[in-house]
Amino acid sequence: MKRLSLFTTCLIILVGSWLVLRFVIGGVISVPIPGSVIAMYMGLIIIAILVHVSVEDSLFREFLRPVRETLVDDRRRVRRRVVAVLIPLFLLGYTYSIIAQRASPPGSPRDAHPSPPLELTYKDEVIGSMQDVVNPFRHYEKDDPEAFKAHVENGRRVYYQNCFYCHGDHLDGQGHFAPYLQPIPANFQDPGIIPNFQESFFFWRIAKGGPGLPAAGTPWDSAMPIWEDYLTKDEIWDVILFLSDYTGYQPRTFGEAH
Amino acid sequence: MRTRNIAFLMLIFGMVVGTLLCAVTYAQNAPEASERGKEVYEESCAHCHGTEGRGDGSAAENLLPKPRDFTRGLYKIRSTEAGELPTDQDLFDIITIGMPGSSMPGWETSLSANDRWELVAYIKTFHDGFKEGSAPPREITLAGKISYSEESVEIGKGLYTELGCIECHGNIGRGDGTSAPTLTDEWGFQTWPANLAQGWNYRGGSDTEAIFKRFIGGIAGSPMPAFEGDSFLHFGLTSEESKRLTELENKDEMTEAEDEESGQFYEKMDEAVNIALNRVEGIELSAAEQQIYDNAMKVVYEKSWHLANYVKSLTPEERPESAIGNNVLRSQYVQGELPTVDDAAWETFEARHFPLVGQVIIEPRQFNPTIDSVNVKSFYNDTEVAFLFIWDDRTHTIDETDEETGVTLEDALAVQFPVKVPQGPTAPKPYFLYGGRLPVYLWQWNASASDQVTELTAKGINNAEVQEVQGDVQAKGTYTDGQYKLWVKRSLKTEDKKDLQLESGVFVPIAFSAWDGSNGDVDTKRVVSSWYSFVLEPMPSSKRFVYPPLIALLSIGLLIGLRGIVQRRNS
Repeated sequence: MKRLSLFTTCLIILVGSWLVLRFVIGGVISVPIPGSVIAMYMGLIIIAILVHVSVEDSLFREFLRPVRETLVDDRRRVRRRVVAVLIPLFLLGYTYSIIAQRASPPGSPRDAHPSPPLELTYKDEVIGSMQDVVNPFRHYEKDDPEAFKAHVENGRRVYYQNCFYCHGDHLDGQGHFAPYLQPIPANFQDPGIIPNFQESFFFWRIAKGGPGLPAAGTPWDSAMPIWEDYLTKDEIWDVILFLSDYTGYQPRTFGEAH
Repeated sequence: MRTRNIAFLMLIFGMVVGTLLCAVTYAQNAPEASERGKEVYEESCAHCHGTEGRGDGSAAENLLPKPRDFTRGLYKIRSTEAGELPTDQDLFDIITIGMPGSSMPGWETSLSANDRWELVAYIKTFHDGFKEGSAPPREITLAGKISYSEESVEIGKGLYTELGCIECHGNIGRGDGTSAPTLTDEWGFQTWPANLAQGWNYRGGSDTEAIFKRFIGGIAGSPMPAFEGDSFLHFGLTSEESKRLTELENKDEMTEAEDEESGQFYEKMDEAVNIALNRVEGIELSAAEQQIYDNAMKVVYEKSWHLANYVKSLTPEERPESAIGNNVLRSQYVQGELPTVDDAAWETFEARHFPLVGQVIIEPRQFNPTIDSVNVKSFYNDTEVAFLFIWDDRTHTIDETDEETGVTLEDALAVQFPVKVPQGPTAPKPYFLYGGRLPVYLWQWNASASDQVTELTAKGINNAEVQEVQGDVQAKGTYTDGQYKLWVKRSLKTEDKKDLQLESGVFVPIAFSAWDGSNGDVDTKRVVSSWYSFVLEPMPSSKRFVYPPLIALLSIGLLIGLRGIVQRRNS
């Protein structure tokens, strides 16, 4: 078997790496890799190849041999013609596709976890500092399981009368209004949601809704209502108990409050 | 002494019999439903369907269609005949898939198949008809299926009128029939006939078999009857006899012979209707009666397949693509005059489909929307832009008074843009609900003044003002067969600083609000959308014919040059 020329080997490595990045790593294994990242990797690989073939003069000459042959050697006339047609044709199609592409609307990046204010309020009443406020009914979980259950049940009622349209029967953010909202409603079954925040954070997000997001949380597209207009303080605390009771996730705490 | 013994024995006997009776009753009422079924039910279903299965959970109040009351044994979506209970598989399928267009979700991903079967068993305990020992429900046979064809659709179309579907579902099926606003279900709640043009909202799915089953079995508890007995035109007659009878009935005057002929038809129909009634009651049919029934149903089955094919032809296979991130309304460039409302040019391309949801943020809220979506097309030229907004509404409401509040209700649409287009992806858009800190520019159209659009500026849903300067916005609205079409035209640029200025190639956020007066929509009670995108699609750049060939030529030149260099070096 004829050994592959150095140039062909390098070409295969180059195309192979692109295929792996684009379809294996960015497809089979994980989500697609952005084009710019792929371009960066490919640039590195090209530099590596050039460094490799140019360390010795003889190696570099060997590397360029097929190119030179294709260009001038009369035995490679067929190959030369093929290349002379394919390269311009590829460039023609590629530039056309770039120019003719329809523009797509700008994406709308947003702050998924907006930072809360320092003080937690309900309407105008100050409840306390965001850091220290705890759910006033949480302690029933240990002290009085019956009372705790009653609060969870009340939270369940509040949830299914108000929240499930968007956040779903199963608290997975898949309510029947959800597919047509942007940003999509929070998915409480996602392990990254409840355990990452204190109950005071949830109280803030529920009470103030989309309009209460800080300026940094724009664009203001959240359809979350200002629930303090509809729910009592206790109802909000109860529904927070229900969220963690139903999903089994415990909100974040900073040790016991004394 | 003896008497006491006898009394004692009788007491024992009574206790034994009593216990036995109790046991028997218990065994009948509580079949194999396990604790697990109850547990899953209470965790996942009771909030809507109620702990006792009466459809009165805490969420039920705000829902329409109402959650099913399991105690009545009336199930909408069944593969069984008129008056029958559903099969276990039917119940399992509904739990798994859910009911599109209602608040019943599918549980396939959130409950295991085993749990869903446990639920089926538990739900059955709410109704005595499912008791053990009851005869299995009679299933609808799909054996004689008439496959989809243009001819069948054409026959079905004729039947659609003949069988009276029009009364509720309207001329071409948009649920806008004359009796549509008056319908109530078994429980007295208002119910709307299906909009047959929106197959994605068919509760039991939109494949032809599913549609066929809704005809044969009916939709129990709703005004949709099973095609049997006196709910079916000329039940008991053959197609020819039915045609003849219609012919006779349409005559101004009948001869004696004709009178007798029609009399015979009526007798035949009465007999068949009575047999069908007896059959639903569970009365055993004689062989002769069974034959009459079978013959009558043969006609029903055949006509139902044609009708199912027709209904299938009314709806797209799926909801049009509408993923929110890439749902862009692209206005197409034309040279010269923009098309007017009836111009055929509008038919040359598909509309963009924008789903709408109930506004549940600000009181009064709309939890049960009746307007599903708005479809939009647009053209522009060098100076103007024209839109065509198309949306389905079952009723044409112009001036109706709400019985409870005394408020005047009417159908309406509002189209919303920001006053200033946000520059760059991180620039804030106005609040999607009529703006807030940042203002929005609105076109408000009301059905009562259908050829007029009012320009508004709003800084919040309760803070909208009619602009002092009303620009050159032209409008024309029409309502036909359950569908509004609104044509709007405006200059791309205006003098008014409160107006949006349009420029080719710039992406502009666009959002919608719509009101269905007959659904009680007024003020904030309405359907809305999030921000979507709108763009005056630039004419494809003529550069596309210049640069690519140039680059191709350049590459050829480069190759030739390279060859020259190498050749010179070699020599």
